[in-house]
Amino acid sequence: MAEAALAELQERVRAAAAARRPLRIRGGGTKDFYGRALAGDVLDTRALAGIVAYEPTELVVTARAGTPLAEIEDALAARGQMLAFEPPHHGIGTTLGGVVAAGFSGPRRASAGAARDFVLGVRIVDGSGEALAFGGRVIKNVAGFDVSRLMCGALGTLGVLTEVSLKCVPRPKVETTRVVECDAGEAIRRVNEWGAKPLPISATCHHAGRLWLRLSGAAAAVQSAAGTIGGSEVDGSAQWDGLRDQAHDFFAAACEGRATLWRLSVSSTAPWSDFGGDMLVEWGGALRWLVPRAPVDAEALRAWAQRHGGHATLFRGPDKSAGAFQPLSPAVLGLHQRLKAVFDPQGVLNRGRLYAEF
Amino acid sequence: MTNPASDVRTRPAAGDVAALTARLRADYGERVVTSHAVREQHGHGEGLADAALPDVVVFPHGNEEVAAVVRLCGATRIPVIAFGVGTSLEGHVAALYGGVCLDLSQMNRVLEVNAEDLDCRVQAGVTREQLNAELKGTGLFFPIDPGANATLGGMASTRASGTNAVRYGTMRENVLGLTVVTADGRIVRTGSRARKSSAGYDLTRLYVGAEGTLGIITEVQLRLYGIPEAISAAVCQFPDLKSAVDTVIVATQLGIPVARVELLDDVQMDACIRYSKLEGFEARPTLFFEFHGTEAGVREQAGTIQSLAADHGGSAFQWATAPEDRSKLWKARHNAYYAVLALAPGRQAFATDACVPISRLTDCVLETQADVATTGLVAPIVGHVGDGNFHLVILFDPGSADERAKAEALARRVSLRAIAMGGTCTGEHGIGVHKLDALVAEHGDAVALMQAIKRALDPHDIMNPGKTVPMPGRG
Repeated sequence: MAEAALAELQERVRAAAAARRPLRIRGGGTKDFYGRALAGDVLDTRALAGIVAYEPTELVVTARAGTPLAEIEDALAARGQMLAFEPPHHGIGTTLGGVVAAGFSGPRRASAGAARDFVLGVRIVDGSGEALAFGGRVIKNVAGFDVSRLMCGALGTLGVLTEVSLKCVPRPKVETTRVVECDAGEAIRRVNEWGAKPLPISATCHHAGRLWLRLSGAAAAVQSAAGTIGGSEVDGSAQWDGLRDQAHDFFAAACEGRATLWRLSVSSTAPWSDFGGDMLVEWGGALRWLVPRAPVDAEALRAWAQRHGGHATLFRGPDKSAGAFQPLSPAVLGLHQRLKAVFDPQGVLNRGRLYAEF
Repeated sequence: MTNPASDVRTRPAAGDVAALTARLRADYGERVVTSHAVREQHGHGEGLADAALPDVVVFPHGNEEVAAVVRLCGATRIPVIAFGVGTSLEGHVAALYGGVCLDLSQMNRVLEVNAEDLDCRVQAGVTREQLNAELKGTGLFFPIDPGANATLGGMASTRASGTNAVRYGTMRENVLGLTVVTADGRIVRTGSRARKSSAGYDLTRLYVGAEGTLGIITEVQLRLYGIPEAISAAVCQFPDLKSAVDTVIVATQLGIPVARVELLDDVQMDACIRYSKLEGFEARPTLFFEFHGTEAGVREQAGTIQSLAADHGGSAFQWATAPEDRSKLWKARHNAYYAVLALAPGRQAFATDACVPISRLTDCVLETQADVATTGLVAPIVGHVGDGNFHLVILFDPGSADERAKAEALARRVSLRAIAMGGTCTGEHGIGVHKLDALVAEHGDAVALMQAIKRALDPHDIMNPGKTVPMPGRG
C-alpha cells in the first residue's frame, strides 16, 4: 500500500513537472500558517504513513513522512525513548515529514540539538518525480554530500520527503522544573552563566517576570543542580508542552490571527531589548518571541537580529508583506537558486513558500 | 543529464599553468612555490602513498587572497585543491589533474573566542591542538579529536569525528557556520552564531564534508564546551568480542553518556601492548572508556558501566585518573596504527572505515575477522563501538602487487559488507579518491543528484576534481 502511495505521489509530481503546475506539499496541514503564501494544488503525504523500522537497541527509528508525529512518539515512549529535539505539534495531526521539512525543534533544542542533528537519512521524491535515498540509519556517515541535512528546513522546496530515519534517545530518568522570579535581562544573564556549567538544564523559558528551568538527567545531577539554581519546584509539564506546541497563552492572540508573532534567533548573550510588546525568551537566551503591540519596522528588527548573530522570522501574522524570512545576500541567494534548479528544475515544489525568487 | 565533451577533465595546458604561476608570483612572491620537494609534500595525505603532485603551491593569508586565486584558476579552468596539514586518509589532497594547491596553514589565527556564547571563529589553518592551547584559561575546549592534529578547515571539509563522537557529536553537529570561497571566487558566509539553523537552506552542512569539491572553507565557527569537572579513563578486557560490544549496546540504551569508548581486538591489543609498553594487560578484546562530568556523575557512570561489563564477563577496571596516566592510555590508542606497522617492519598499512547499525557490529566484525583469516593478511581491528564504526588496519608489502591487490580487495569487501548490513562504507574518513566506487554501491541513483549538485556549484569542475563524487566523462 505504501508502495502504491509512493508510486502515485511520483506520478503526481511527474505530471506537475510536465505541466509546470506548482504543488503545495501538505501533511497534517498544521503549518499552513508558516512561510510565504501557499500556492498550487495540494499534494497530501498522509497516505505515506507508518513506522518502517524501530529497533530500540539501535536508538534509531525510520518512518514514512506522512506518519503522525504522535504515533512515533508513542512508539518510542513505550520503549522508554524519545525524540531529543522535542518537535512541536502546531495542531492535531502534525506529521514527521512536516516537522523535518520545517526544521522545527522544541524547548530541548538548546541542550540536545536541532531536528537536523538527529536526521540520519531521508528518502525523497525530487521535482522530476525521481525517488532517491540519502544518508542511512547509522550515526556517522561521510559518504558523499550531506543531502539529508539539506532537506531540514528547506520547507519541501527541494523534494517531497517520503521517509525519514531519526536518531532517538533514552528518556531522562528524572525531570523537574524550577521557577525563579526575575526580569528578562537578569534571566538572560543567569541562563548563560548556568549554560557554561555542566548543569543538566534541558529547557529554559522567561516570560512575565518568571524564569522557568527544566532539569533532566540522573537523580544525583538533577538534585545538585536544583540546589545551585534555587527558586521553587513546580509541576512544569503543561508549561513545556504548551511552549513546544504554541498552546501557551503567550501565543494565543497570534494563533487566533489577532496578532503578529516574530521569532528572533540570536546569539544567546544578545542583550535584552524591549521592542514594545509581549516577549518570551527560550533556548538559554538564543530564541526570543515577540508579539508587538503596534506594527514593527521589520527591517530594523532584522538588522538588530543580524547584529546579534542571527535572523528574524515573521512566524505568524495576517500581513506577511515584509517577507516571512530574513532576506538572503545576493551570493547566497544565487546558491539557493542553483540548488533549487538541481532538485526541482521545473520549480513545482512549494514554489515561493520560502523565498519569492524560487 | 547532459555531459558535454568539454567536461572531460585532463591536466591543464602547460602554457596556462606557466602563465598562472607567473601571475601568482607577481601577486604573492615567495608564497608561491614550485619546487619538487614542496609539491611532493602537498601531493598526498596519510593514506596510501599514491601521490599526485600539484603544479604549484600557494600559501594565502586571507579570504580575499583565496578568492583571488580561485578566480584566476577559474579563468583557465585550472584545478584548485585546499590543503591543511595533509592528514586525510583517502587521497583527498592528491592533485590528480595537477593545478594549484592552496596550503591554508598560514591562515592560522583564532579570530574570536566568545566564551559566554560557547563558540569561536577560526581561520581554516588553525589546528585542533592549537585551538585547545589558545583556549587554555577560558575553561572551554573543543572536543572533536580524530587522533591526528588536523586543521579545523580540513576537519570541517571531511566531516571528521573521532573517539568522542558519541558524547559530543562530529564536525557536522559542531560547526555553526562557515566562510566559503565558491568556485566562482565569491566569499560567502553560511550559518550564524545563533544556534538555530540559518535562514534558507542549510548550506553549512552541504559544505561540511564536501571535501573541498564545492568550495574552499576558509573560516569555521565552532561550538565549544566547558571542560568537565572530572575526567577518568578505564580499561576493561573481555573473553570475546561479542561480550565487549554487548556491554556498549546496553550502556547506550541506558543513556549513559560515556565520552569515549574504543574497542581493540586481540591482535590490535597485542600490538599496542608491545608498541606502547602497556603493563598488566592480555592480548584479548579490550574496551577503553573515558567518562566526563561532575565528580558525582563520573562516579555514577563508571559504576554502572563496571557492573554491566562484569555481567558480560569483563575484567575488573584498570583506572587512569591522573592526567599523565590518562594520556598514556589514550596515546596507546591513538598510536594503534603505528603499533600495527611495528608488527611487520617494511610493510605499509591502510585503514577501512565501515560503520554499521550497532546491533550488526558484532556480526560485521566477526565476519570481517573470518574474512581476514582467509587472506593470510595481518589486519587488526580498532573501533569506535559506541557509534558502530570500526577500522581494519590492513598490512601489505608495498613491493608485492599481488599482496596489495589482496589488501584492496579485502577493504572493498568490508565496505560492501557494511553497506549490505544497512551501514556505510565510510563513517569518518570520507570518500576522497579511494572510495568512489563504494559510494556508487551505497547510494545508487542518488549519486546522479550529487553529480548535479557538483555541476551546479562548480560548473567547470575546478574544485578538487576527481574526489567525493565520481563525475562521468572525466579522462
